[in-house]
Amino acid sequence: MKRFYFVLLCCLILGMQAYGQDKKKRTPTTFNKQKKTKENDQFLQKQWWLGFKGGANVSKIDVESAYAIYSPINYDAAETGKQYDEFKHPGSQFSFEVSFYFKGFTASFQPTFQHSRFRYTTDYTWNNSEDASEMLQTTYASEQKVNHLLLPLILKYEVIGNKLRPYIQVGVFQAICLDASKSITVTGIDYASGGTNEFERDPIVVGAKDLFAKYYWGLIGGAGVYYNLGNVRLNLDIQYKHGLSNIASVENRYDNDMLVGAGDVLDDMNLNSVAVSVGCLFPMRFLTSGFKSLDRK
Amino acid sequence: MLQNPFIYRALLVLIMALLVQCSEDPASDTQTEKFTSIYDNRKFNATYVPIDVQQTPDGGYLVLSARKLTSSNYSGIHLLKADASGNFVREMEVGDTLTNPVARLTLINDRFYFFCMSTNTTALLASVDENLDALSTTNAGGLTYPAATMYSDNFFYLLSYNNESKESVISRVGLDGSSASKGYTIGVGEDVEEPIINHYLHNGKHFPFDIGKISANLYYFNGFFDYTFSLVFTDMSADAPLGVVAGQHDDGGFSAVAHLNGSNFATARFNFGDNFLLPRTALAMSGPSSSTGLNDHALPELVPNAKVKILRATIDNKNVIIYASDTKSGQIGLFFYDEATGEFLSARYLGFANPFEIGNVISTTDGGVAVCGTTYLSGRFPRICIIKLSKEDVAENVE
Repeated sequence: MKRFYFVLLCCLILGMQAYGQDKKKRTPTTFNKQKKTKENDQFLQKQWWLGFKGGANVSKIDVESAYAIYSPINYDAAETGKQYDEFKHPGSQFSFEVSFYFKGFTASFQPTFQHSRFRYTTDYTWNNSEDASEMLQTTYASEQKVNHLLLPLILKYEVIGNKLRPYIQVGVFQAICLDASKSITVTGIDYASGGTNEFERDPIVVGAKDLFAKYYWGLIGGAGVYYNLGNVRLNLDIQYKHGLSNIASVENRYDNDMLVGAGDVLDDMNLNSVAVSVGCLFPMRFLTSGFKSLDRK
Repeated sequence: MLQNPFIYRALLVLIMALLVQCSEDPASDTQTEKFTSIYDNRKFNATYVPIDVQQTPDGGYLVLSARKLTSSNYSGIHLLKADASGNFVREMEVGDTLTNPVARLTLINDRFYFFCMSTNTTALLASVDENLDALSTTNAGGLTYPAATMYSDNFFYLLSYNNESKESVISRVGLDGSSASKGYTIGVGEDVEEPIINHYLHNGKHFPFDIGKISANLYYFNGFFDYTFSLVFTDMSADAPLGVVAGQHDDGGFSAVAHLNGSNFATARFNFGDNFLLPRTALAMSGPSSSTGLNDHALPELVPNAKVKILRATIDNKNVIIYASDTKSGQIGLFFYDEATGEFLSARYLGFANPFEIGNVISTTDGGVAVCGTTYLSGRFPRICIIKLSKEDVAENVE
């Protein structure tokens, strides 16, 4: 699957090359325009932007291969499978942005610190069919907090407008794992103690960087809008990041004795997220000191 | 050249290729080098105590366990097959008429053999294929109360107890059940027999009975002799033992024994609750002697009178002795020693959150180690577990 996406992207990029060359051939000459206007237009066709943005994200996990410590011998393993929460636990991200605008298209490099959270639960029950009072129900809730440095390359196309300029975007990113932690909280109901004993044990909290892959990559799609305010460009940005490689470490899956002893092990999985950010951008090229860098069409 | 947009796009493709290469591939379907598996049974009162584990010809694992019976104080028999990745494949819950399985589980011609006991205490040689299709049994020469076994040169060597003659009996048993035996008295009186019977009824101290072969006419057993839990050397023909390393009645003796070379042994010793590891010690194989004077590495971190298993292994081209035992913190401790010198190399602890207890430890065909034991899920449900360590994992312990 990973290779399929890769080949698809290559085709798209090379297709853009062919399309771009055709378009260039069809561009009409502008010999009849005044020299000054021509210079301004040519100047405004290119711009470097520098800025930052930050916001919140929510995550969803796609499981590629499920792994479990418990291997049931008298019930279906699916009954104790992990149940992932989807787009439920907010994380955060902060990006630095360098963009180059050229004729409606913007190539953007956005190094991003991304803090992601995702959670799953696993339920276990032990009972006695001949004695209903002999029953124990437990739920293991495992929360992961993972920090990644994302290195995205994004292509934006500004659709229309002047002061308010919506855009769409696609891109690709490489993520580097910076840090991670896991916490497991065990709750349950013990019916075998002579009553109904609801309990919650102290959480197990461990550093878990080694349990996650050093790198993963994925695709970005999204949309946003610029609001031009003088020489500053305010930005509302929505991105969907689709992970295309495993974020769990295959090699170190069983390395943490505390987690393994508690019956927890990570699946092979892809991390997807929706991120909403706000930020601002500053132009790097000015024609004159009083010049508005923004497109004045 | 840099103004050519095609160059930029080619660079982009190159960067993407690098992204793809810098990612983690999902594991293949069989993750065999390293895993932890706990075999859960939803029954509230199910209890399993693994006794031995062996690798099957297909790379999987076969676990022999004792299970709790409601109809008897003796323990029942449970067999479990796992695949090479530790996933549960099949189990066999042997009927209540066969009880008290005895290590070692031995692979001979595609069948796994072990000894067990009928409800009338007769020793039986049982066998099953690796797929647990059917279990068959053979009467083991009229012997009773099987305690420990090993296989060598086409014969099983069985330590058993004869409660009529009050003897520890060492026997050579063929695959057809034929046997030749020699018995050694445990002493006179009911009090001497009581701890042995309680061992079988799981009603008292569990004794580390063992048996081994040193050479063609020299054997040893770790069992009761002359009122004391002792290490007894015998040629299986003389009426008296060749040598006896005595313990302290039923309060002291060897908890594990492995012969190294000559008169050198790797042993572990218990004495009134204390535990000692002796990775390389010379024992007198003739005449009487005592184990109480053998003090080497005291391990206060082990539970009183701890169960100890010894594995001789070659790891990273070094001959090592691995002791596996139960710690007071509820973990399985692995203690690595240099076989040539007895020098301590390192330790590794397995298990957390729930208590773990050792069943047995074996070398695997890929150069790693598999530890089989009991873990108490939610602190109360005894379940079988296999912890597979990779070759690289154990190599870290002998560097």
